[in-house]
Amino acid sequence: MGKTFYQNEEELLAAMRQQDSIALNIIYKTYFPMILHFVSNNNGTEQEAKDIYQEGIIVLYENVQQSTFVLSCKIKTYLYSVCRRLWLKRIAEKGKYLGRIEDFENFIALEDDQAEMDEKETQYKVMRQALDQLGEPCRTIMEDFFVHNLSMQQITDKMGYTNADNAKNQKYKCLMRLKKLFFNSYRDE
Amino acid sequence: MLLKNDYEKVEDYLNGQLHGEQLAQFEQRLQQEPRLAEELKEQQLLKKSFLLYGQRNQFKQKLEAIHQEMETENTRIKTSVFNRYAIQAFWKQHLPTMAVAASVAIITVLSSFLVLDYVRSLESKQATYYRALKREVDNIKKTQRSISSRSGITPAPEVRAVRYTATGFVVSANGYLVTDYHVIEGADSLFIESRLESSRTSRPDKVQRYKVKEVYSDPASDLAILKIVDTSFVPFTQLPYSFKAIESDLGESVYTLAFPREDMVYGEGSISSQTGFEGDTTAYQISIPVNPGNSGGPLLDDKGHLIGIIKGKSMAEDGAAFAVKSKHLLKLIRSIPRDSLPEPLILPMANRMKKLKRPEQIKQIQGLVFNVKVYH
Repeated sequence: MGKTFYQNEEELLAAMRQQDSIALNIIYKTYFPMILHFVSNNNGTEQEAKDIYQEGIIVLYENVQQSTFVLSCKIKTYLYSVCRRLWLKRIAEKGKYLGRIEDFENFIALEDDQAEMDEKETQYKVMRQALDQLGEPCRTIMEDFFVHNLSMQQITDKMGYTNADNAKNQKYKCLMRLKKLFFNSYRDE
Repeated sequence: MLLKNDYEKVEDYLNGQLHGEQLAQFEQRLQQEPRLAEELKEQQLLKKSFLLYGQRNQFKQKLEAIHQEMETENTRIKTSVFNRYAIQAFWKQHLPTMAVAASVAIITVLSSFLVLDYVRSLESKQATYYRALKREVDNIKKTQRSISSRSGITPAPEVRAVRYTATGFVVSANGYLVTDYHVIEGADSLFIESRLESSRTSRPDKVQRYKVKEVYSDPASDLAILKIVDTSFVPFTQLPYSFKAIESDLGESVYTLAFPREDMVYGEGSISSQTGFEGDTTAYQISIPVNPGNSGGPLLDDKGHLIGIIKGKSMAEDGAAFAVKSKHLLKLIRSIPRDSLPEPLILPMANRMKKLKRPEQIKQIQGLVFNVKVYH
């Protein structure tokens, strides 16, 4: 756990890179009003503002995790630019775009990160849909396998299969289904 | 679709669990079977997406927790931050309108200043064309002071000097005089002075000096009625002139007596127009050369009728002086409420100078024309 005061933004970002929850807390609370204001002044609700903001924070967080990432502007500007772009995309999808965005801060163009951001966004969205369609118990098995890296024996014990081969079969079926679901919609995107 | 067997190989390969011969074999297969390579790629992507999904979900939960915490936190801080944005939004929304309003206001103010200034300059231009004829005596005061200081005598306790002098003349034997309103305007105290020669005293050069006060005035026609309030005042004898109630004709020869300096000065000319400055119908234009101090002087015609009171001259034209018509003086006198006068104002009825020659006329009149001294 880190300290509660940070001398400058570099320190704050470094703390965030090390997954410091206080740094995250500070950043989150500091800039939320800005995005809430931006979204609610551009035909958005508070809930939408929250979604957009959290996505923006995720983008920042994921980028900070990469050692190659260098923030060329202030955190505020970066977050604003990311959220602005996300919001533009969102209202374009909703068909509510009025052709004019009320801006309250400076913002930068994010062309470099754009493709990667979009890619990740699609992966995330498609995976969520696929998992929703997959249903239980496949979902749990997949999570245990991918996220928690459990061995086949552990999965067998957890799910109450009679032997590891059964579990393996079940896992294989689930994986194939997930794969089908995932790639069907992924190719559409 | 991949066989289960193959799939396990792919999985093991990704997890780095293939070794030695198995690894070489698999890698060879990857090269030969594009389908297998494709599957490998897909599996990689799937895994990556799944991990991303898992991480994001986890992270989102964290953010959600922070958000909840923030919402339940002190709302005061939140609102204060919001206020800043509210103000910003307000400015953003209304700045263009306000800017337009402000510039309109500024333009209006500036232009009205300019217009007012222009109008005022017109007025002052006019004022330079027209000049009221009271005389300032500041200069005299200064010269007198310098003389006294040069002679080394400590000056007597400051006597307030006369500020303006002009002329006034008697209209009623019991002590009423008339002069111009601009002469007495804003005055503290008024005195009249005249150097009598023959008619009232035997000694020449005796100075007759009375305190007077304003009893009635009319700024519109530039006339003022004064009354002698001095206790030493002895009523005048019957006045030799009378007032002419009708307008005089063009070209009639007229003369005036006045005090442009300390001694009485005579001036003569004729009526050159029946209207005054800029078509002023209450006045005549006359061709008598007049100077500051002539204000309030009587204007008489050949027969000794009083036909006007000198009031000013035009600076734009040569030899154009103006005099208020006697008609208006009579009108003014009649309009004075009886109660506002301490004594009835009795106008002279008969003209006793009709047959006299001009020098004789002047002798009759000069005791009735006074130098009005105005103190501020």
